[in-house]
Amino acid sequence: MAVIATSGIGLATEELSFTYPDGTRALTSVSLEIPAGSRIAIIGQNGSGKSTLVRHFNGLLRATTGRVLVDGTPVGRRHVADLARLVGISFQNPDRQIFSGRVRAEVAFGARNVGLRGAALDQRVNGALEAVGLAQQADANPYDLGFSERKLLALASILAMGTPAIVLDEPTTGQDANGVQRVKDVIGQLAREGRTVVAISHDMAFVAEAFERVAVLRDGELVLDDTVNEAFGEDNWPILESTYLEPPLPARLGARLGLGSTPTTAAFVAALVARSGSVG
Amino acid sequence: MSLVLEGVTYRYAGAATKALQSVDLTLQPGRVVGLVGSNGSGKSTLCSCAVGLAPNAIGGTLDGRVTIDGLETSGTPMYKLVQHAGILFQDSATQITSGASSVWEEISFGPRNLSLPRNEVIDRTWRAIDALRLTEIVERDPSRLSGGQAQLVALAAVLALGPRYLVLDEPTSQLDPLGTRLVGETLAEAARATGVGILIAEHKTDLLAMLCDEIVVIASGKVVARGHAREVLADPSMHEWGVSAPADIALREAVAVAELEWQSEWL
Amino acid sequence: MYRSLNPTTKFVVAIAMAAIAFGVRGWVAPILVFATMFALIVAAGVTRRYVPYVLATSALLVSIMLINTFLYPDATDAIFQIGPFTATGTGLIAASQAALRVLAFATSVALFALTTRTDELVDDLERRGLGRRGAFVVGTAIGTVPRMLERAREIVDAQRSRGLNTEGGVLARFRGLLPLAGPLVLSALTEVEHRSMALEARAFTAPGRRTVLREYPDSAAQRALRWLLVVGSILLLIAAISGALWWVP
Repeated sequence: MAVIATSGIGLATEELSFTYPDGTRALTSVSLEIPAGSRIAIIGQNGSGKSTLVRHFNGLLRATTGRVLVDGTPVGRRHVADLARLVGISFQNPDRQIFSGRVRAEVAFGARNVGLRGAALDQRVNGALEAVGLAQQADANPYDLGFSERKLLALASILAMGTPAIVLDEPTTGQDANGVQRVKDVIGQLAREGRTVVAISHDMAFVAEAFERVAVLRDGELVLDDTVNEAFGEDNWPILESTYLEPPLPARLGARLGLGSTPTTAAFVAALVARSGSVG
Repeated sequence: MSLVLEGVTYRYAGAATKALQSVDLTLQPGRVVGLVGSNGSGKSTLCSCAVGLAPNAIGGTLDGRVTIDGLETSGTPMYKLVQHAGILFQDSATQITSGASSVWEEISFGPRNLSLPRNEVIDRTWRAIDALRLTEIVERDPSRLSGGQAQLVALAAVLALGPRYLVLDEPTSQLDPLGTRLVGETLAEAARATGVGILIAEHKTDLLAMLCDEIVVIASGKVVARGHAREVLADPSMHEWGVSAPADIALREAVAVAELEWQSEWL
Repeated sequence: MYRSLNPTTKFVVAIAMAAIAFGVRGWVAPILVFATMFALIVAAGVTRRYVPYVLATSALLVSIMLINTFLYPDATDAIFQIGPFTATGTGLIAASQAALRVLAFATSVALFALTTRTDELVDDLERRGLGRRGAFVVGTAIGTVPRMLERAREIVDAQRSRGLNTEGGVLARFRGLLPLAGPLVLSALTEVEHRSMALEARAFTAPGRRTVLREYPDSAAQRALRWLLVVGSILLLIAAISGALWWVP
């Protein structure tokens, strides 16, 4: 079966500010560039504006001031249904979207909405189910699945849409170890397909392992936007601390031992090996 | 006196399979026991059974016995059981139950429901507030709190009923890092200060490594491992059971695999 | 000052005023109700927070005005024309009255909601013997609304992100019903289940009267007012229905 090669699209915001109708200022002058095909994690405490930010990418929210660009073009007043073909957003709670009596139908919903039919639709649906490990449960009732699996189902229904950019809102929250691994595998696959991946997460270890870049939001402002290595490196710890975030343990230990920036377990071990290699 | 599950087998109403099979577990006051397992392994069910919600409030069939300080859960009304063992769930919003407009009133809800004398209601409420250091937010609207604060208010509300045991079903699952830290630290403190026995189900093994004396691993409704917290979490079989190792143990393992030496002063 | 009235008094006022606004024919009733309720809102200092209530009814008001002005059956006194649609004098009068009633109704509801805390009302009703379950039902019904609205918002966002078209024609909107209603109903049921467990965990089902921490002052004057309102509005409605109030402008 041919891999559906979709190349990614870039997403960007220019001085984006957003104020809710009741006057709450959620975003202040956020300028973020997400190159096509890259993987970026957006981190920050609740209320920092992460969810608000990503909702601009598919038109659910419209900028109060500033611009939002999808594939280089300003979003303007394009309909959400339109933008959904380019940017798929998978939200945190699967129970806010699951409504079909069958897993397969649930996965097909989004794909159908963006115009897929017949063989192409089936191919996408099957591919998505394989990717999240639910191929065996295609004919099951979604509510017979456990929470982890429903979360993966919700993810599959966005994957099947084949959008060149995907946003994952807290994909590992409430997931057990197997679920987290599955999500990492999916992200890896998306990266191989060249699709752009944006995720909101509270899990620093997951962020360090699955993404290339990290953006930190604090009270609606973008305070850090860098590679994973740099973002979790010692120089940026004060920024992380200012919003009560802690770099993953390998980063902390690596800095303490003078191994440079080692945000993941693998990086830590590699640095350790390198150091002991050069000594012996 | 303790909270004991003896040979507990439980089946949800109308379900074909058993959610728990022959589970034995003892929780003593002052001890913190962690419960880990993949989603669907039975952690939530165990929590519900431990406080009597199953079968009293949600039905289903329970074989075996659950006793809380000698009181058997089957056949004892919930309002009596909750004064011995309290439970906290993931979703803080649903647990802000009373429709009260202030945190103080929310916390007083339980004691009020028990028709306790006015002075005692007030007394218990303030004690719970002090125990969890919530004095600064007593006037706030409970529906406008951060996730972490809301969980603490829910916790105070449960403590106001005076239980000796606390069962927590993934209390930090929905929280951000700050909220998780807040709840984690408060629990550690509460355990020490009030002598309450705590059973906490969680995926966050780092949190459990910090809090727990003992850990019980559950898979497909059965207890598959138990023991001293750090020993259990360091057991490589954890991966089979869908449990991720705490960060420090994972690091240690990786270093060992690379055939390098781990220096104990590193952590 | 209105705020400090006994919760049950405020409740009775809201219901009586709403009944009169709709029950009595003519202009005078809805105008009087609206004027009194609005004056009390201003006096209570909650005019700013009243605005959302007006906004919420505005869509309804506009459609009432349009439908009645242009489509009033058997009206012949044309005033002006827009395209194929003719506005009639009779229609305009009926429209204005209907809109006024809705506005008066919304305003009395607003006055109540803005000056009474749910738990106050529930506590007070319970004291009067409503019973714990009744109190719970009333309290939850009112408290569930904001959460349901938020949930609905989340569901709409999620489904729109999957390409569900909410900005299309009637057929498109109809097809969108299940993906929106399905999760909402399911989450409402789950919510009810979780809430009832949470209540059990707070000893809600304990027997006996809940401890009362606060008494809401009541007075002979308020009691008299409540009786007056209840009896008065019932009499008015009977008179209105039997046609005895034909002379009211």
